[in-house]
Amino acid sequence: MLQNRIIPSLLLSGGRLVKGTAFTDHRDAGNPPTTLRAYAAQKADEALLIDIDATREGRGPDVAAVRLAARECSMPLTIGGGITSVDLAKACLDNGADKICLNGAALDDPDLISACAHRFGSQAVVVAIDVIDSAGGVSLYDYRTGHTLPDRNWLDWLGQVEDKGAGEIRLMDVSREGGRLGYNCGLLAAARMRCGLPIILEGGAGKLDHLSEAMQQGADALALGTMLVFSDNNIIQVKRFLKNAGHPIRL
Amino acid sequence: MTLSIVDYGAGNILSVMNAFEAIGEEPVLASTPEALMAADRLVLPGVGAAAAVLGKLRQNGMDQALREAVVDQGRPLLGICVGMQVLATTMLEFGETAGLGWMAGETRDIRDLGSPRAPHMGWNQAECGAAETPFHRQLHNRSFYFCHSFAVMDAPEAFVVATTSYGGSLTAAVGFGTVLATQFHPEKSQLDGQRLLEAFVDWAP
Repeated sequence: MLQNRIIPSLLLSGGRLVKGTAFTDHRDAGNPPTTLRAYAAQKADEALLIDIDATREGRGPDVAAVRLAARECSMPLTIGGGITSVDLAKACLDNGADKICLNGAALDDPDLISACAHRFGSQAVVVAIDVIDSAGGVSLYDYRTGHTLPDRNWLDWLGQVEDKGAGEIRLMDVSREGGRLGYNCGLLAAARMRCGLPIILEGGAGKLDHLSEAMQQGADALALGTMLVFSDNNIIQVKRFLKNAGHPIRL
Repeated sequence: MTLSIVDYGAGNILSVMNAFEAIGEEPVLASTPEALMAADRLVLPGVGAAAAVLGKLRQNGMDQALREAVVDQGRPLLGICVGMQVLATTMLEFGETAGLGWMAGETRDIRDLGSPRAPHMGWNQAECGAAETPFHRQLHNRSFYFCHSFAVMDAPEAFVVATTSYGGSLTAAVGFGTVLATQFHPEKSQLDGQRLLEAFVDWAP
């Protein structure tokens, strides 16, 4: 049977890995190839690497860093950050990415999703959907402005992303990122009602029980950053724990 | 020995190159029929839509050279993902397209085969039948990375060397003549994938 996935989520800045809280306050978190080699040895099921400077600097992901990282990554590698065109997506795939992750550029131009899916296949196109869950409900969030998009319904966007030919969704509750309070499983349940694609849930993992709870509530792919980078947890421990808790996990 | 990766202008070939280099091989790219005919051992990668892959292979006669090298002259070939699907007779993806037709079978949307979601994305176990095949040890009960929305069905039973379970049963690997082809991505499947690639490099069918 299909195993649940544990996916380290890494942020790239200036050729180094960084990690922050709620998209700010970034701290150094190591060298990308070395870190990926370690995660591969620990049997991470995939890796997600986002260049967080790319959008602000008006460029695509750092493909030199991608190429070095890909050499050490014996599991699938997804690259994101500043991908605003089919050509920038192709540069990532040509340098060893297996999938590309679209975010802001897809919000501006949903046809970018179909253009990439048509060229590279849906299986290579991940769309990141960032939301903020507050007392007023769930709102789409635009990381470029740091504001929510009150005019756009996040579930409608999710449906549109699927219709445009994306192969996978990375769903992140930004308000929980780095907060270590647990995943937002309600979000996943709502998304599943609307969308038949695989969904990677991200944001909020702080302890092993959070991962197990999320899997009990139906998550089959979890991304985690802070919990791996700034704690004693490694992927072997994480996966053993989840396997012992009865989840389908590859050891 | 020249190990050549068929490069027809699509697919993330670097992942395949990296994986063979990681096991100590020195793969080269073959992007013309002549380069392809100079290879001792071939890898046909493939991502995206099968019809697009076929179109590119047919564009400059790579399909003919591939047939000559593998089917006529018996050089070993490893097909990966869409590189396996195109070997079948018929592709039912965005309409109907004729495949290379090296084996009977057609590719179908996995949701028509009982899969709960498409793409089938992640690690799943290969399961082999009772009959012993050259790659039984490297395949049986091992986990590999799958990433596909279409799968080969109705391939000859004797050709199916492994299946995987996702809702229904999906064809995970086929073997016939000097061909081994996998629906999953051995180049992205860590140790189990490396062992399969090593066995392919050592294979003398």
